[in-house]
Amino acid sequence: MLGEYVYLDNGAITRMDERVLEAMKPYFFDVYAVATSEFGYSMGIEAREALDDSRKILAQSLGAGEEEFIFTSGSTESSNIAIKGVALALGDKKGKHIIVSKIEDFPVLYSAKSLEKQGFEVTYLDVDDEGFIDLEKLRDCIREDTILVSIQHANQEIGTLQDIATIAQICQEKKVVFHTDATHSFTRAPLDVNNIPVDLVTVSAHTIHGPHGVGGLYIRKGTPLRKWMDGGFQEFNFRAGLENIPGAVGFAKAVQLIDDNENQKLQEMRDRLLDRILNEVPQTTLNGSRLKRSPQNSNITFHFVEGESITLHLDMRGFAVSTGSACFSRSLEASHVITGIGGDHERAHGSVRFTFGRFNTMEDVDNVVDAVTDVVENLRRISPLGKTD
Amino acid sequence: MAVVKINVVGETCPVPLVEARKALRKASPGDIIEITGTHPASKKEIPMAVEALGLELVEVKEEGDSWKIKIKR
Repeated sequence: MLGEYVYLDNGAITRMDERVLEAMKPYFFDVYAVATSEFGYSMGIEAREALDDSRKILAQSLGAGEEEFIFTSGSTESSNIAIKGVALALGDKKGKHIIVSKIEDFPVLYSAKSLEKQGFEVTYLDVDDEGFIDLEKLRDCIREDTILVSIQHANQEIGTLQDIATIAQICQEKKVVFHTDATHSFTRAPLDVNNIPVDLVTVSAHTIHGPHGVGGLYIRKGTPLRKWMDGGFQEFNFRAGLENIPGAVGFAKAVQLIDDNENQKLQEMRDRLLDRILNEVPQTTLNGSRLKRSPQNSNITFHFVEGESITLHLDMRGFAVSTGSACFSRSLEASHVITGIGGDHERAHGSVRFTFGRFNTMEDVDNVVDAVTDVVENLRRISPLGKTD
Repeated sequence: MAVVKINVVGETCPVPLVEARKALRKASPGDIIEITGTHPASKKEIPMAVEALGLELVEVKEEGDSWKIKIKR
């Protein structure tokens, strides 16, 4: 707060890489035409080429064809286009039943809730104590009138990686469209649409050191999807609106900058933090799976203390982290993810998420562990929550 | 040097600490932040934060059911 700062909330948003900004700059100042002006003047051709080249990079990163990827304003828009687009395309033809998990991020959950108000029926699948859906239960829940299954790849809070390969196979067998929100796994965990028969994939640049407010949606060729935002005919007529060419270029650059070494480094930081805290700080519980989790995510409950107190004290010591505590959220409700995995409100209140990014170091990990150990010890001494030993 | 007074009477965790933090961010070196509250845990928690920040805890005073904490930025 008053000095140097270590940012460990990369699950919320990441610091953009300078190289991304450098790649974007020419498209603000030199090539600023809209892509649809390609038929009129040469700057438009350059703009179109930049957009097409960026699209190719994004599509290839998922194993997709260029015509199967559209740019959006972020993961919220991508998931809304996917879920509501399928509902519009199939609601009157096949049925009005949708399946999502209980721990989806808000764009998926609230898109489903919005459709419920319009006469659709939604099944909210339970998850186990590590955040995994029951694959047999999913199979049993799919009905004749089921039009869409939307199950995330990595969870936004606890990092649990669902077995989307099997989920996609089940959906393929049952002839149901499958959407996955891969905002928190894109480029961090493998996802190749040639091996996984998923139909729609939400991705975003804000979690991978790309520009904020830029996302994308993979749409498998032939997927029933109706456009619902009226306007122009951009993005293969799936998404109306001026193309954000600097954003697309920046997103592509962000993808190119990620490699396996970086993901390995993130995983090593994650594992060191988990090992140290779970071994050194008493009365702590890991939230999520120890092994099947995104490489950048750690989430731990410190019992008998409030997560917001931990985050505030860490902030004042120069560390940014987040919590699933109700008092920290605008909704004043405890994390639906922690309660979804069977945690009570006390567990949600004491949960703290540490998410790593490119600009973190192993020294940051050791420093935050030392700081949180001290903060938690001090807070437990004055804890109004009962047991402090 | 200014004296900044914050009233968090009736507020519970984390509001007193959040408000103290806001005031400390805006204050200039040498300013005094005077926080009045009633939540018992905050009376202990705010001094902890002051120590972590390396600031001076000028006074912690009980006044009936409430407390007053003075911090020098």
